[in-house]
Amino acid sequence: MEDQELKELVSEASHALARLDTRRLEELALCCRSLNRELAPAGFRKRVDLARQSREAAEEMAVFARVMEATRANLDVMRRLHELRTGQLEYGQAQPRHWADAESGHGNH
Amino acid sequence: MGTISSAFDLISGALNADQSALSIVANNVANANTPGYTEETPNWQENDPVQINGVQYGDGVTETGATSLRDTVLSARLDQQQQMASASSARLTALDSVQALFTPDSGSSSSTAGDIGNDLTGFFSSFTSLEAEPTNASLREEVLTSASTLAGDISNAAASLNTQRSALDEEASGVTSQVNALTSSIAQLNQQIQSTSPNADAGTLEDQRQEDLSQLSQLIGINQVKTENNGLSVTTTSGQLLVSENSSFQLTSGSVSGVTHFFVGTADITSQLTSGGGELGGYLTARDQDIPSALSSLDQLAYGISASVNQLNNTGTDMDGNTGTAANLLYIFNEPTQVAGSALAMSVTMTDPNQIAAAGAGLGTGDNSNAVAMAKLASESLMQPIATTAFSVSQNLNASSPSATSSLEVYDTLGNSYNAAVTYTNQGGSTWDYSISVPDVLTANTSVSGSVSYRFGTGETVNQGTNLTITGNLAGGGTGTITAPTVTSGEAVGTAGPPSTGYVAALDAQIAAAGITGVSVSNTGGVLTISGATGTAGSVIADPAASANATGTLTFNASGALVSPAANVAGITFSGLSDGASALNLDWNLHSTGSAGNITETAAASLQSGASQTGTAGVTNGPTPTGFFSNFVSTLGATVSGVQAENTAQNASVTQLQTQNNALSEVNLNDEASAMSTLERSYQAASQVFTMLNTIMESALNLGTETTVS
Repeated sequence: MEDQELKELVSEASHALARLDTRRLEELALCCRSLNRELAPAGFRKRVDLARQSREAAEEMAVFARVMEATRANLDVMRRLHELRTGQLEYGQAQPRHWADAESGHGNH
Repeated sequence: MGTISSAFDLISGALNADQSALSIVANNVANANTPGYTEETPNWQENDPVQINGVQYGDGVTETGATSLRDTVLSARLDQQQQMASASSARLTALDSVQALFTPDSGSSSSTAGDIGNDLTGFFSSFTSLEAEPTNASLREEVLTSASTLAGDISNAAASLNTQRSALDEEASGVTSQVNALTSSIAQLNQQIQSTSPNADAGTLEDQRQEDLSQLSQLIGINQVKTENNGLSVTTTSGQLLVSENSSFQLTSGSVSGVTHFFVGTADITSQLTSGGGELGGYLTARDQDIPSALSSLDQLAYGISASVNQLNNTGTDMDGNTGTAANLLYIFNEPTQVAGSALAMSVTMTDPNQIAAAGAGLGTGDNSNAVAMAKLASESLMQPIATTAFSVSQNLNASSPSATSSLEVYDTLGNSYNAAVTYTNQGGSTWDYSISVPDVLTANTSVSGSVSYRFGTGETVNQGTNLTITGNLAGGGTGTITAPTVTSGEAVGTAGPPSTGYVAALDAQIAAAGITGVSVSNTGGVLTISGATGTAGSVIADPAASANATGTLTFNASGALVSPAANVAGITFSGLSDGASALNLDWNLHSTGSAGNITETAAASLQSGASQTGTAGVTNGPTPTGFFSNFVSTLGATVSGVQAENTAQNASVTQLQTQNNALSEVNLNDEASAMSTLERSYQAASQVFTMLNTIMESALNLGTETTVS
């Protein structure tokens, strides 16, 4: 990670989010936390370099923000969908029934 | 039912059910790689209990079919995201080609569109070189060579853009048959589904329909509406019906103004499809918006350079001691008559380097003042056209009607449209008052001391009053304002003299009487120009409200012929306003063809699009030629970058939804909850990454400068 440019890191985060690679995203979050800690005591050259990297990563950040936005919209859809389906399970009339249900009530063996 | 047989029935029923379930599982396995196949789950139906000796026994279960694990909400969301991703992909491909055109090719020895920026610098620098030695033949030759390079690159760029536009048009046209095949298929599947499975999932048939919908979504933007008995209607995103139950409505295409338009029945739905999404939306956006926008910028650049350079060169003195005249125009470039098409038509017409007018007007050939002026164009605002839009009004006037109104749309050079209205009021008999009203878009730019010009009708015959307010500095201090004298019908514009004549003389006299100094009036070729001497000596402003309206009276004889004004109303022109945005030329004609009191114009309404404008060159407070080109290239780059970001995000969204869709097909609600949990955790982790990256970047940018280090 030491040699990785910031824009590559942002780009990787976008791809991980697209693939819903939670583990990689959590690793990247840890990585960012560590980077943030290193920032304060960093020397001038390091800070200047990081400033350059930040400017260069602006476009990737815009993409990442758009992927986040799309993910949030997808998450909303999935939440509504889940609520709908769990609602149907509890109150619906025409759900398929399973062996256990069918046999436990009326089985004659 | 006997006891034993009942028991057998029960057992065999259970076995059969199990066997059916196994078949469904086998079907799922067999179709694991079939595109669009949705995994099925068996439906178990509890059988009616049986009575044996008065005791009720359960009768086991029967497998009653399969339910596909589809979810229409998720599928619709997936389709929606796919159509957006397809649109941005198609548009991005087209934009990449446009951008590549304007990217310098360092490996190429020949000049291309990517070199236009350097060409501009080279061209104006050639005049700078000529300043030092205005009679040097090789330096003169260099001016023409660099002009040819510049014109060639701009013209080739325009030609390439047109080629790209044609290719997109073909691509778009080719989508029609694919759309029709899919909508026909969906209509057929609707019929099959409704007849075979009106109340339950139709399994494979629904899979096929979903697959068709998915493909259709990639082509065009659609909405899906579930109807009764498992039916489905499909419309474009703007509501045009494509499939209704078992009927499909064919998309057709035809050429309109040289480009392919799309119809359902007689309705032109091209613009709906453009904004709707899908591949077709992407193609059309690039064809109708992105490429025309790039062409328009190139046209403005070519027009501005050609017009300004030609104008200056034509007023200087060439090596042979000549100054440009109507018979001997000293134009370096092909003179553009309108903005549209200027880039494609840009070329160098001058073949003799001696015709380069390096010397100022009336000065010796060794003078360099005009070369200096032409070199200075590099740092001056790019010349922009000032439109003179002509149109005709068609209106029946009937004596039994108290009034009539014509309304029409006119365009300025930049393609902006305005509504103009002509109102006729019957004054009794065959006399009508008329009033022309155009929107007040002609506000003079008072921050610039300059000229306001009015062009009068052909033959310099002034037909109607033009209310004009002139404000200028008074000799004794302060400012004075006059209202220009009313122009009488048939009055000549006159000349500036001295002595001035006609309307010019009347204006001069009124300005002088008010004690206003520094304001002069002239007439050149029918264009009356009122100029303020300098910014401090007084500026001239028009009264926009008054100048945008014209009123008068038309009188017809018993046979319907116009008798007053004596000639047809030839028109009133407002042009040359210093904001240069949208001067208008009202040019209408009335002719008698009917009986008394019923006047029909023979001239049909003639609306001109922005592309067919003519105009005269003027200078606006815009960017320099190189600044203009830089803005164009950076705007193009920003557009590409924006579409790229959209495309990446939309593809990511599609990937996520497909992941969710696959997880959903894997069976139960627990797994679904798990899939959703993954989505939620991913989003939360990404939020943390984003927040921290944002903090890091902000800190880095703040700390990356010496002054902010604490």
